[in-house]
Amino acid sequence: MTVDMLMDWFATIGDFPILSFLLAVVISGVPLFLVMALNAMVAVYVERKVSAFMMDRIGPMGQGPGLHAGKWGLLQTAADAVKLLVKEDTIPETSDKLLFKMAPFIIFIGAFLGLAAVPFSSVLQVADFNVGVFYIIAVGSIGVIGIVMAGWASNNKWSLYGAMRSAAQIISYEIPAGLSIIIPIMMAGTMNLQEMIHFQEGNVWGILPNWIIFNNPFTFIAFFIFFISAVAETNRTPFDIPEAESELVAGWMTEYSGFRWAVFFLSEYANMLVVSGLAVAGFLGGWQSPIPGMFDTGAWGLFWFMSKLIFLIFVMMWFRWTFPRLRVDQLMHVCWKVFIPIAMFNIFGVGIWKLIFG
Amino acid sequence: MGVVKGDQMILNIGPQHPSTHGVLRLEVMTDGEIVSEIRPHLGYLHRCFEKHSENVTYEQVIPFTDRCDYLAAMNSNFGYVVAMEELMEIKVPERVDYIRIIMGELNRIASHLLALGVYGLDIGAFTPFLYMLRDRERILDMFEYTCGARLLYNYMWVGGVSHDLPKDFEKICIGFLDYFEPQIEEYNNLLTYNKIFVERTADVGVIPADVAVSYGVTGPNLRGSGVKWDVRKDEPYSIYDRFEFDVPVGDGHFGTLGDCFDRYWVRMLEIKESVKILRQALKDIPGGDVHQMLPKKIRPPKGSVYRRTESPRGDLGYYIMSDGTPTPYRVKMRSPAFTALSVLDEVSRGWMISDVIAILGSLDIVLGEIDR
Amino acid sequence: MSKYFANIYDTVNTLWTGMRITWRHMMNIKRDNVTLQYPEERWPRPERNIGFEHEDYNVIRSRLHVDIDDCIGCLKCERACPVDCIKIDTIKAPTRGEDIPDVKHTGETSNGTKKAMVVSRFTIDMSECCYCNLCTYPCPEECIFMVGGPNSSKHPIDYEFSEFDRTDLIYQFAKKLSPEQKDGLQNPKPEAEA
Repeated sequence: MTVDMLMDWFATIGDFPILSFLLAVVISGVPLFLVMALNAMVAVYVERKVSAFMMDRIGPMGQGPGLHAGKWGLLQTAADAVKLLVKEDTIPETSDKLLFKMAPFIIFIGAFLGLAAVPFSSVLQVADFNVGVFYIIAVGSIGVIGIVMAGWASNNKWSLYGAMRSAAQIISYEIPAGLSIIIPIMMAGTMNLQEMIHFQEGNVWGILPNWIIFNNPFTFIAFFIFFISAVAETNRTPFDIPEAESELVAGWMTEYSGFRWAVFFLSEYANMLVVSGLAVAGFLGGWQSPIPGMFDTGAWGLFWFMSKLIFLIFVMMWFRWTFPRLRVDQLMHVCWKVFIPIAMFNIFGVGIWKLIFG
Repeated sequence: MGVVKGDQMILNIGPQHPSTHGVLRLEVMTDGEIVSEIRPHLGYLHRCFEKHSENVTYEQVIPFTDRCDYLAAMNSNFGYVVAMEELMEIKVPERVDYIRIIMGELNRIASHLLALGVYGLDIGAFTPFLYMLRDRERILDMFEYTCGARLLYNYMWVGGVSHDLPKDFEKICIGFLDYFEPQIEEYNNLLTYNKIFVERTADVGVIPADVAVSYGVTGPNLRGSGVKWDVRKDEPYSIYDRFEFDVPVGDGHFGTLGDCFDRYWVRMLEIKESVKILRQALKDIPGGDVHQMLPKKIRPPKGSVYRRTESPRGDLGYYIMSDGTPTPYRVKMRSPAFTALSVLDEVSRGWMISDVIAILGSLDIVLGEIDR
Repeated sequence: MSKYFANIYDTVNTLWTGMRITWRHMMNIKRDNVTLQYPEERWPRPERNIGFEHEDYNVIRSRLHVDIDDCIGCLKCERACPVDCIKIDTIKAPTRGEDIPDVKHTGETSNGTKKAMVVSRFTIDMSECCYCNLCTYPCPEECIFMVGGPNSSKHPIDYEFSEFDRTDLIYQFAKKLSPEQKDGLQNPKPEAEA
């Protein structure tokens, strides 16, 4: 949407289509990257604090003068970022160097492309595709190529195990996630995220906002299946077996250090943003206000979207610091024998519901 | 290691690895994720405990016993001094016996808390680990209050203990137990009953009772397999025969008898039993002088003694041979963790790498004691 | 089939129980927090004590200290040490119980024991010390002790004696003697002939 608006605006100045396209992409892409970096920094800080509070600790703190992490440790992630940037970048002697260097970029591209279609508000969206849902699901799978590349190129057994586990996991969990996101598509009759959010205006059953999650019992279940599959796709506990620290040391990231590792980290948090964004847009009414008709003008849209997003990210952190980790075969069991049948059943249920009530 | 077939791979776990509980190296033959053989390599923490003991006096051995099982140093001390007193035929004052049992059981709780917390960490749950460490910290505070050290105490001496209990210790200890007992329920709700945890541990790494006995596995690992054997009950030393407590055994709570969950669960129940013993001991503790029976010079008569005690990890035996001089002729330690590790290869064949970590954690080994 | 759904219910139920616990802890962090913010807050922690008074400790094993004026050079602590980190050299004093001002040697301990030895070297290598406390018991003058806690009146607690160089951890307690002074003590000059 932003890109289209910028191009329209450039067209009013003069006729230079290629240049205006490039300009529009850069002008909207740079803030997107900043969003990604800022998200990682804030999310790392919040995650540290949330985990600390859950464990009766207080996390990063700094009170005194000198090289401290600032009040309440607010500068901690900034210090971490600086440390990662100046850290020695090691590449193993026996690694496949080209693939080893390429892998972080591919993972980054996967996360970055997905972020482009997230509708932060009714106007703040870099690219408003007519197949937005499909697009996000599709580019989300690019990351797994990068993970397998990283694991293979490291020439390390731990990395290889991590990569193999990751490939199996992400590909499997895309199926329940995809089957569940079909339900908002069925309800709204569109794949366009903005139109999907517009569909969720108004009330349902008098009090509740007309979000797809509240529409009928099947959509309610579908949201949870989608969200848990999304957690699995982002490789977070209880589905963090690709980097299971107590088993595989650091999984596919074992050999990475410095900035390359930071890129992985950035992408992981950006992926959280993308999948939560899709869940918010598809099930939780996007930038719609929870009280229909109130606080829904202008910047409130951004506020509501971000609050829902942050809440979902918080729930992911909450999961992470509460649950143990599943085993590989149990992970597959949950995916193929629990989520997929229920997701299929949901599709039938929603179809029949629409036939009868809608 | 056997011949590596085309579809097999040797994976080297350790000595630097997050969940080998010290510096253990496991050479694992894997077929994909499935483990076909494990060979543990020891010796990274070898400090010549037994040889070293032959060159120092009897009382100087006690700091070295601390450093064998460093997570339950009180129980290590306990075993050594009980063996020495048997050799020298010393009858210690009653108060000393009570103090030793209080300290030993507190340290059992501390050791089990660490074992359970780290086990959660192996499975992937971080938070219970910190809760358990938080409560273990309170026990260590009490030890520090008593003998000045938090980990390596050198508290129990032949014929007594180094310090009497400090002021108000009984009250503080009861206060801790009152605080601690509800926490056990919280651990259970947070970790033990968690479905993911149960799935990861139940039916995994089953040690049948006959295998456990033939390998010499002892302690909670043996009781997890359903064998009711506890040295405190069956061969009572000190004054353990005066206390009322049960010996919890595994019952296949969520899976098969002798699986990882049973070993975990036995430890959890043992904490409760220790609390019971502590309450009785704190109620009955008599007065008296703890230094009354300390020998002026430790010079046992010619002869030898073998005494086993129940440390948190199992049968901890000391064989002490004296030739009448102030230094021991031979000190041999029978380490429970060593036999527990020896069963690892047999039980983890056919399981996945994640399960090997779970089985290793459930055995609760301490490398300081294995290598000595 | 019912087992399948019972399993799902069980999973959701137990996971939700766990999440409630972590939530409760997160909300009560002000009450439950156990962190000691080390450089700013130091042990013993004033506002969150658990019933232990500093002076009531039986002993606090933080660092060994020797009151050298009380040391009679009996070598009992050196013999008690299982790791041989205490090293003592002594020279026989010319006259028992007499002050020798030029090496700052006092003749009597605070207990009134007359000293027969001048301690020319008393080093404790704290990097080797295993904090077993065995050296403090045999001392007849109670001049070697762990600092802090019940011994606070003798020496303030010191548990952060980190150094950049390992040799700095070897603590010298004896008064410095020059070779001439040592020589003078070992071969006392005959009384003034004049």
